[in-house]
Amino acid sequence: MKQRAVWSAVLVLGLAMAGCGSAAGPGSSSGGSEGKLVVWDWKSGEPSAAPYIEKAKADFASKHPDVAVEFVAQPFDQYYTLLGAAIQSGKGPDVMLFNGGGQIRDRVDALVPLDDYLAEDKQRLAGWDAFTKDGKIYAGPVTLQGHPIYYNKTLYEKAGLDPESPATTWSEFLADCAAIAKAGAKCFALGNKEGVGIQFWLSALGSGILTAAEYDDWIAGKRDWNSPAVKRVFQLWKEAGDAGLNNDGANSTAMFNDAFALFQSGKAAHVIGLMSDVGHWKDFNEFLTADKLGVMSAPVVTAGTTPSLPYDGGIGYAVAKWTKDPKVAADLVRSLTSTDALKAFYADAGAIAADTTIDVSAGGPAAATIVAEIKGGKPALHVALSSKTLDLMGRLSQQLLSGSATVDEVVKQLAASDKAG
Amino acid sequence: MPIGNAQPSVRPAQAGRTDGAVTIPSAHRGGRSRRAGGGSRAERLAPYVLVAPAILIIVLLRLYPLLLGVNFSFTGDGARNGTTVGLDNYLELFDDPLFRTALGNVGLLVLLLPVAVAIPGLLATFIYLRVPGHRIYRSVYFFPAVLSPVIVGAIFNLLLAFDGPLNAALGSVGIGSVDWLGDPDIAMFVVVGVHIWATFGMALVVFLAGFATLDSALLDAARVDGASLFQVIRHVIIPGLSRTIAFVFVTTMVGMLTSMFGLLYVMTSGGPEGSTYLPEYYIWIQQGQMNRPALASAASTALFVIMLVVGLLQVKLLRRAGRED
Repeated sequence: MKQRAVWSAVLVLGLAMAGCGSAAGPGSSSGGSEGKLVVWDWKSGEPSAAPYIEKAKADFASKHPDVAVEFVAQPFDQYYTLLGAAIQSGKGPDVMLFNGGGQIRDRVDALVPLDDYLAEDKQRLAGWDAFTKDGKIYAGPVTLQGHPIYYNKTLYEKAGLDPESPATTWSEFLADCAAIAKAGAKCFALGNKEGVGIQFWLSALGSGILTAAEYDDWIAGKRDWNSPAVKRVFQLWKEAGDAGLNNDGANSTAMFNDAFALFQSGKAAHVIGLMSDVGHWKDFNEFLTADKLGVMSAPVVTAGTTPSLPYDGGIGYAVAKWTKDPKVAADLVRSLTSTDALKAFYADAGAIAADTTIDVSAGGPAAATIVAEIKGGKPALHVALSSKTLDLMGRLSQQLLSGSATVDEVVKQLAASDKAG
Repeated sequence: MPIGNAQPSVRPAQAGRTDGAVTIPSAHRGGRSRRAGGGSRAERLAPYVLVAPAILIIVLLRLYPLLLGVNFSFTGDGARNGTTVGLDNYLELFDDPLFRTALGNVGLLVLLLPVAVAIPGLLATFIYLRVPGHRIYRSVYFFPAVLSPVIVGAIFNLLLAFDGPLNAALGSVGIGSVDWLGDPDIAMFVVVGVHIWATFGMALVVFLAGFATLDSALLDAARVDGASLFQVIRHVIIPGLSRTIAFVFVTTMVGMLTSMFGLLYVMTSGGPEGSTYLPEYYIWIQQGQMNRPALASAASTALFVIMLVVGLLQVKLLRRAGRED
């Protein structure tokens, strides 16, 4: 009898241990021990990013041969959920990939300021602002992300327009759209199912609507939502929807990637796309051919404004606060942003790299135009907003398109959310 | 959640069985008192030791995290991380129109529940009554149940797109296009409709199993008396299947409240205009996208309370159905 009780106790202990063990299992791939750095990202698993990772690893190995590097590719749609859990427990990767803007700014408490470590790269790389909070840099930029307005030169020719001189003012643009509509295509390919259509709209057209002073104030955090120019952004959004410039059912069309597919298949003449990752020059080149893809500046809506390319640091690597030696981790960030590595990233993954010294002439006229405009570019307007305000703006923009909210109501709600955030 | 709620469904049957077994332990006790001695203490402890693993696992891996989560929901996010903020998160939650929409949609799901139960019930009835081709229908109806919600969502995204085949078909008979997933007034109904389409096969099988226990002599008698189809359903089939219907009600409810996430994620992403949010989706957005884990905890606690109430109501419903039987 006694023996049976003893066996039961052993069984209980064993089961309890097994339970604990399995609960602790997933943590084993995180947390860097001495001589090993763990990197989290959502890129290293893609075959197109393999040459980039190889180059960066080789560069780092030449500086720190005794430190092993492990890349852990996480699924992007779960990335910030997993990272949030890691931050909450104070244990996780040493180096991690971030999107610029709100995603990194919301989490700087868990990161090491890198100003001192990355000082040498400041001139060579662009896009630092998106990884800066309160004057401190928290990540080294890998790619630039921005919102050029792409257009389809074949459709321009079909509509009897000159594909080499797209409209420079809003009224000209509307006239071009009318001609394009006659030729049987829509003016804009718009996907607003996720609510990101309005973000692209705000950033791509903002420089032609807001005055330079208003633009800089907006980026600096002094946002006047009641100004006529800001209201004009949302007014134009609504007008474009009401006038049928967009493809039908924009609210149920996903930007990623149904809207881009509409543009690629020649059903719409313009799309506000991206510079890196997806929906960019390289994707469009494949379908429309490099010669028939153009990039235009924002049409001027408010007289006296100078349109500029809206862009920010797209993705960048940051160093976690809990890493053993921040210097070594920062060196890995430097390797991940070295010219050689970034060149591989531009060529294979289709991105505008943060290193502006890379020659992009092989990428076609669209990529060349984008890189040429980077110097005069400004941070994108929507990146300055908090994720909460962006989420709200997405929903309100859907209401504007469906007609269940007015511009004044929308601006009022956004102002309140922006103030609270 | 689903496991916890599904368990009570077997309880009434067990309760019935223990009634019959009451006499056995008393006989056993006589035997044991004869053997009373050194081993009795270990024997008395043995049951506790044997149930300990199950209890430990439940306490350590379920109840303890649950309490941690509830505790966490009383702390702040961001700058106030780790500090106690009292009921702030809950106040913010119920002040958020998006969360109220999510709760409203839970209410809508409850209201649509009879439809979700009636569809497989009716179709099972037709199969039972051997409509022409019932053998084919039996397998065809079950087919969607083997598809994952993501695949179902992707299929219907294509079918229901504004320029998709359904609108094209409507257009060819002269009906204007409907933005199925882009109109806030209908998107939720569309998603629920797709969910019902994707899951009714399981309920159908349960109904068919229920029909197997139905006394066909009753049906024949009703037919001889000249009962119409509606009268047969109303007076013979529904009373005969009351227990099956109650069970399907419970499982469908659990399914609707806990496994719509995949469909929502793929089909609408909570939109348009936030009209298809459910609490689960809200929790995911707040935790993963908005970096508000404490607020998400508060929402999880609220969802837990809702599920608890729903679960208890279901247990009651099942008990009553069992008793009627």
